[in-house]
Order: sequence, then structure tokens, then C-alpha cells
Amino acid sequence: MMKEEEFTFFEAYLSEELSEEERLSFENRLKKEDELSEAFNNYKELYGFLEHKFTTEKATEAFTKNLNEISEGYFANKKKTKVIKFRPWQYAAAASVVLFLGITMFNNFGMNPVYSDFAVHEALSLTERGNLNQLYLNAEQAFNSNDYKQAEQLFSEILVANPNLVEVELYKAISLIEINQFTSADKILLDISNQNSAYKFTAKWYLALSKLKQKKYDDCELLLKEIPGDTDVYELAQELLSAL
Amino acid sequence: MNDKKTHCDQLYIVGLLNNDSIIVKEIYEKFAPKVIHYISRNSGNEHDANDIIQEVLITIYHQAQKNNFKLTCPFDAYFFLLCKRMWFNVLKKTSKKEVTINEEILSINDDASLLAFETIEFDERQQLFEEMFQKLGKACKDLLKASFTIKSLQEVADKLGVSYGYVRKKKSLCVGKLTKLVQGSPVFKKIKN
Repeated sequence: MMKEEEFTFFEAYLSEELSEEERLSFENRLKKEDELSEAFNNYKELYGFLEHKFTTEKATEAFTKNLNEISEGYFANKKKTKVIKFRPWQYAAAASVVLFLGITMFNNFGMNPVYSDFAVHEALSLTERGNLNQLYLNAEQAFNSNDYKQAEQLFSEILVANPNLVEVELYKAISLIEINQFTSADKILLDISNQNSAYKFTAKWYLALSKLKQKKYDDCELLLKEIPGDTDVYELAQELLSAL
Repeated sequence: MNDKKTHCDQLYIVGLLNNDSIIVKEIYEKFAPKVIHYISRNSGNEHDANDIIQEVLITIYHQAQKNNFKLTCPFDAYFFLLCKRMWFNVLKKTSKKEVTINEEILSINDDASLLAFETIEFDERQQLFEEMFQKLGKACKDLLKASFTIKSLQEVADKLGVSYGYVRKKKSLCVGKLTKLVQGSPVFKKIKN
């Protein structure tokens, strides 16, 4: 075991307080005495450790504090984005899960599905086809921003000049459902669904949704059953059917 | 090591050293997910990953501060190896089950493993030193703190109301005591080269 005075000697050597003669003699001993040399090296390392520990204490504290905050922020944010950040291919799956849950809930509680669960309108874009008429623009904007009352009026204005625009008629009917003017809405939708146009079955689907909103479930079900398997709205129709 | 080229990821080391929030955040964004994933799949959870990441970053910070640390490999590899190793240490402590130590860390065959190995060794020594320091009596702890914080021993002596000679002697004896504690520790015998 090292004697106490050896440590005093180590200290004096490290603080360069030894005379030239003492220094050389000490270095000479280090070469010859293994135990001394080992103890000195350990002493030196611990001296360095302590020096580092105390001179960087404040900086280390600041670093640790900052690190802690960043880490907390990162993990809290991660939890949030976990919910929000859906990948596109997950939308379909998520939608069906929601729907499934919805359906299960309806079955469990004996409740009927509601219109708003199924009424997801595609954004209208009348002007995409090169029609830069201001009236069309306004109508489109009103519909896409859910201002259905305004949209219905603008669609009517368009139809005065162009009574054969089936698409505009369809959207006028959707707007009417939204503002609960079912009689007018149903009349238009029935007309479209009895004609042969691209909107035939979409109109039937919306007619069913109108009945749903009016809580006429039997009518709704009958209409849904008339939607054939090769149409865009078939899957939605089937989902609503199983929820009824 | 000095002849090897410093990797451009040294910027992360410098960022840590400067306590640069932007860089620290970037480290989290870029490198934390892999660690979280790994720990979650190896008997841990996100909370454990959070602790390990912080511990590893503090270790890197200390090592960089002290040894003029030079990163010679991608930060990702170095950081991930450290997190893995620290996590194994936690598992070893908390469970009686035999934990397989990853072979990557044991075979020193590339820069990342070598650097990670050095850092772990550094960390083990620092932890032991700190543990032994805490075992010293209050008088020694206070004197060492004062004499390493206030550079002039005369000032320390004035502050403590003792003579310069006493402070100088006491300082060397306290560091000596710490040296003995460390040398006598079984952990030290295991980790010393």
C-alpha cells in the first residue's frame, strides 16, 4: 500500500512544484517501481477525472437539462404524430375499421346508422373542364366549402341556362339533402336514377342517403339493394346495408 | 486512431459538445427511431429507450469533452452500438436471465465497434470513479470540490480558514484516498487493462 507522503509527492510533481533534482529522482523511481508507477498513473487519472468533473459541472448540468427537454419534446411529439400521421394506404383500412366499429356499435346498441357517417361528397370541380365561368367557380367554391344553401342557389342559376347538366343537377340535389329539403332533392334524384347517364347509380345512392337522413330505413334499404355490383358506389351501399 | 480520417458526422459530436439544440433534435429525429424499435423488441419499451438514449448522449458528451474525441465512423453505427450495449447492461442488472452479449460489440473489426468499445470503457471507468468519490467523507469531498473549482489553493485555504500547506496536503491525501478506493474495487480489477 502506498504511504501518505507518496501522494503528497504525486501532487507536488503534477503541480510542477518539485526541484529539478527531485523531479528526476521521482521519474527514475517510476521506471523501477511498478507499484509506485501504477499508483501514480491511477492518481493522475483520478486527478484528471476530478478536474473534469468540477470544471465542467455547470456545462454538464446545462447540457443534461437541455437534453431532457428535447427528449421529452421528442417523445411527446412522437405520441401525437402516431395518431395523426397516417400513410395513404392506411386510409382505406382505417376507414373500414371505423366503419366496422360503427357497425358493431349499431348492432350492440340497436342504433341505426346516420347520414353523416356515409355522406362523404367528392369535391366538385366544374371548372376543371376549361369552364372558367365565374358562376361555376362560385358554385363550386360554395359546395366545396360546405355552404350548401348558397351552392344550391348557384346550381339553380346554372341550370336555368343549361338545363341538361346532369352533374350540376346531382350536386344541386346533394345540396338540398344537406339543407333538409328532401322533397325537391328526392324528385331530382329519382329523375336522374331513372335516366341512363353516368350518374344513374350515384343518384340512387344519394336517394338512399336522403331516405337515411329522413330515417326512412325501409326505403333506404330497398334503394341500396338496387345498386348493382359493378358500380362505384356498390361497396358503400353494401356497407350501409349491413349497418342497417 | 489519429491517422484515421474524421468522419463528416463529427458535426454531431461538435453539436453535442456545444449543447446545440438543433443538432440534438436532429439526432433524435434521425437516430432515435431505430433504438426505440430495437429496445421495444428486446424486452423493453419506449420509456426504456428514452432513458438509454439520454444516457448514451451524456456519455458521448463526456467523452468528447475530455479526450478530444474524433469520430471515424458514421454516427448512426456508433450511437446504435452504444445504445445496444447500455441496454444489455440494464437487462443484465435487472434480470437473472443470461443475456447474450451481441457479438458485434465484442469483435473489434471496424471503426464503429472500436470507438463504441472505447467509449464504453471510458464510461465504465467514469462511473466507478464517481461511485468511489461518493464514498469519500464530506470533508474530502468539499475540499476536492473547492480546490478543483477555485484554481488557486491559497484562495481555497482562505475560504476554508486553513493554511495553504494544509489544503495542499489534504488535497493530495484525498485524491490518494480516492486512488486507494478505486484500486481496491473489484470492478476496477476487472476493467483495468
